[in-house]
Amino acid sequence: MSASNPVLIIGAGVAGMTAAVELADSGIKAVLVERQETVGGNALDLYKAFPTDDCFYCFEGNRWRPGIRKCFYRSALIDQPNISLKMNSEVNTISGTPGQFTVTLSVGPQYIDPKKCTMCGLCLEKSKAFHLISPQCQPQAVVYNPSINDDGAKQAEEECPTKAISLNAQPTEEIIKVSDIIIATGYHEMKPVNMDEYSYGKHPNIITQLELAKIIDPNGESNGVPLKPSDGKPVKRVMMVQCVGSRDENYYPYCSKICCVFALKHANILMQERDGVQVSVVYMDIRTYDRYERYYHTARESGVEFIRGRVSLIQPREDGSLDIVVYDSLLNKYLKFSVDLFVLSSALEPPEGTNKLIESLGLKSASGFVGIADPKTENEVIVGDHIYACGTALGPAEVPESVTQARAAVSKILQSRK
Amino acid sequence: MVVVYPMTEMDEQSGPPITLIDPIDMSKLDTKFREQIKSMPNGEELSACFACSTCTAACPIANIWQYKPHQLIRMIILGMKEEVLSSNEIWLCLTCFQCQERCPQKVRVTDIFFDCKNLAAEEGKVPPNIIGLGKELLEKGQLYTVTADWEREDLGLEPAVPGLSVDSMKNTLKKTRTNKLVEGGE
Repeated sequence: MSASNPVLIIGAGVAGMTAAVELADSGIKAVLVERQETVGGNALDLYKAFPTDDCFYCFEGNRWRPGIRKCFYRSALIDQPNISLKMNSEVNTISGTPGQFTVTLSVGPQYIDPKKCTMCGLCLEKSKAFHLISPQCQPQAVVYNPSINDDGAKQAEEECPTKAISLNAQPTEEIIKVSDIIIATGYHEMKPVNMDEYSYGKHPNIITQLELAKIIDPNGESNGVPLKPSDGKPVKRVMMVQCVGSRDENYYPYCSKICCVFALKHANILMQERDGVQVSVVYMDIRTYDRYERYYHTARESGVEFIRGRVSLIQPREDGSLDIVVYDSLLNKYLKFSVDLFVLSSALEPPEGTNKLIESLGLKSASGFVGIADPKTENEVIVGDHIYACGTALGPAEVPESVTQARAAVSKILQSRK
Repeated sequence: MVVVYPMTEMDEQSGPPITLIDPIDMSKLDTKFREQIKSMPNGEELSACFACSTCTAACPIANIWQYKPHQLIRMIILGMKEEVLSSNEIWLCLTCFQCQERCPQKVRVTDIFFDCKNLAAEEGKVPPNIIGLGKELLEKGQLYTVTADWEREDLGLEPAVPGLSVDSMKNTLKKTRTNKLVEGGE
């Protein structure tokens, strides 16, 4: 076994970044591959994250807590010499034997060099091709959209004070040898377009929880004021419905685990921090496991309306509002509501490409996510020989759980190299 | 059964209803009812209810109720003031307090039903048999008068209850709301 070979980490979300930094700090080289143009994955869109309700960008007040570190290890990803971060990149093929994998990567063009970019904003003024995802984005650099290739962009390239822009950057293919692979590919929020009863995709005011998180994020377009997507007017009444696609044999048989807390977190933010918004939650069971019962308690205290039952009918009206009839199974009555925003707590599903990865590495599948190699053991991060998985690649998980699993995977690698 | 109209044809549909469901229109309910109950004695814990139905499981007579205890609490939270205050159930309650004893969220269920009875009485919604009891109290100063004096005789007791004075009770009751209720009810 070649102990000097780096470890490949697929996905730079919470789990992948944790694994990369922990490995790098232990003196092991890590290649962190990310499909998108920013690290952080789904967590970036969460605004406030449970269990601590901190803004996801900064965990200043919670640095002492186990499982949470400040700002996603902010500078480590760029400055830690043991981490090689590949943005806009994908894993093409994996061959070789356990302990000596050969991996081909499609590395996206590096238009902006994050080591040079100071985010001064000059290029943003020159052309719409450049934009800053957020002041806290990682890598700390603007991003470039090559489809808007205007004169302003060329001018920016010339005038960039640190010469960080290279518009002619090309995609490359890299072949690397790695000893171990950590799969941290995360999850995708199901878009319930096929569930006719919820009309998702047919009406602008019917959205998912992740879409709501973006609307109420103070860093968002409306500075966190909930506005109707249909006409931009303030939202007064919100209805959420739980278990959309989860615990449903037609879609995903498992409980997506975090949607209840996710919905309650949003309900509490809307009721307590936004003016005059009333929230109703339609549910089958509220599953606020572990410490999360307090979200449910707070929600009831702050006046969130809970209706045990299911939605029977949705009727859009001319002013963009929705008339929704709900069957209340506790009362055995049908209730009719008029709401501005209808939010679906949609299932977490394996991201695109998971099947291919499972097949090419000969791994087990657990309802489409990466399965544990030996379910009888308690080694839930070992999914193959020299192959590990952590975070939501293994199935729905919360942030602290993802971090813990990432550390467990790193710990297994360190033990194997002793 | 689920019908969704496309965005273009909406509002005021003519023709037959799309389903036979006749839902309760939430906008017509009294959203302040919840707060009203919460502001009354022992009502603060109302919103802690998570609808587990323990109260209904505990109730010895709910099987004959149209609205079970957990449903009444749900109705209060939803704002169904009219239905709750004119329901028979709040008066049928035995006040055995088993629901309140068992509630995992410390909701004072029985006490909340007392609050409901008080609100109902204020609106004059008291069943005739309860008014009858009030009348009896006002007239006789006691609810249970001695009727079968042979029992007292068998036990060797004197015919009348010694020292029983109902006059002061009658006088007091005249100044209470019980009197107003009975008079108003006549």
